[in-house]
Amino acid sequence: MNWNRFAVLAVPVTLVGVAACGGERIPPKALADARADYYQARDGVAARLDPTDVHEADIALQKAEHAWENAPDEPSTIDMAIIADRKALLARSVANTMKSQQDVQAASAQLEALKTQQLASAQGRLSSTQQALGATQMQLEQQQAAAALQAQQLKDLEAKLKDARDTIAKIASVKDDDRGMVITLQGEVLFKTAKFDLKAGGMAKLDQIADALKGKDAPIVVYGFTDSVGAHDMNMGLSQNRAQTVRDYLVSKGIPQDLVTAQGKGPDSPIADNTSIEGRAMNRRVEIVVSPKKI
Amino acid sequence: MKPKAVFAVVVASAGLVAACASSFPPPNDEWAAAQADVGRAQAGGAPSVPDARLHLQLAEEDLQKSKALIGDDNHRAATLTGVARAEAVLALSLAKEAEADGQARQAQADLAKASAK
Repeated sequence: MNWNRFAVLAVPVTLVGVAACGGERIPPKALADARADYYQARDGVAARLDPTDVHEADIALQKAEHAWENAPDEPSTIDMAIIADRKALLARSVANTMKSQQDVQAASAQLEALKTQQLASAQGRLSSTQQALGATQMQLEQQQAAAALQAQQLKDLEAKLKDARDTIAKIASVKDDDRGMVITLQGEVLFKTAKFDLKAGGMAKLDQIADALKGKDAPIVVYGFTDSVGAHDMNMGLSQNRAQTVRDYLVSKGIPQDLVTAQGKGPDSPIADNTSIEGRAMNRRVEIVVSPKKI
Repeated sequence: MKPKAVFAVVVASAGLVAACASSFPPPNDEWAAAQADVGRAQAGGAPSVPDARLHLQLAEEDLQKSKALIGDDNHRAATLTGVARAEAVLALSLAKEAEADGQARQAQADLAKASAK
């Protein structure tokens, strides 16, 4: 055997053997646990939240260390180590409980604040909705009032027009159709043949009609019509001029000009047969249409 | 050594041992207190929390062991009674900790639920 190699192996083995026999004793598991758990308690949240129990764990650990130092083989030494360990665990448990309770309080406070905020927000939305509802109700009431006023005005106008109708019926043909009250005047009454300046007799009738319609505030359309004799364009121009003449005359007699319009229809809307003298006479006409429904 | 001398030594040693055993009073009050601690842990919810239940069982076992030792080894009976008390107090604390933890989790869940609205 190589003695140098033997020496290299023998020296460390000897040293380990010496250390094992005369070195530090290995503490029991209970004491090792007690130390580790105490350090965790001392260095953790327990030191801040539960210093009293940490202190008691410290004292218990010192007793256990003293017992281990002086009577390592006594069963009570293990008991004291266990007591020290449980006190360290107790300190950590109490601290954890306090931490959870603090968390509950914090969460409850946040929840309360959140509910307050949500309530305020909901109240704000409710207030906005109520304001909008109020505005809508006011608008609706205004519309209802306007509609009622309009209905009353229409009713009043219809009553006035009924009086006018009775008056006008004595001097002209009056009928009602979907356009309103229609006053028909034969062309010969108002104009000479192919002319569009009013005859004296026509003016007299229009004077009575204007008097009857004055102040009624109803829209009026004056239509001019011809028979089918002659060129179409010429008839269209003649009917337009006649309608316009009547319209201007009514305005001159006090009918508001923005209420009266004129329109020539020519020969396109006959009411009788254009092949007979009587029919053509009926087709040559002026219609004054009073339309209360167009207010 | 003569027989008489041997007898004297034996008698003296026995007397000494008896004196040591009797010099430590029985831990009756401490044992009663430990029993009360165990009762509080039982009533405080320890049986329904696994960690707490384990320490409660250890406390009950230590309590029985210490009771058996009273009179014969009062010193060990006292330290075992101390262990039983520590186990019982820890069991009760662990039960309270579990309850508080549950409440904290519930509070956080309530907060998260309200925040999500």
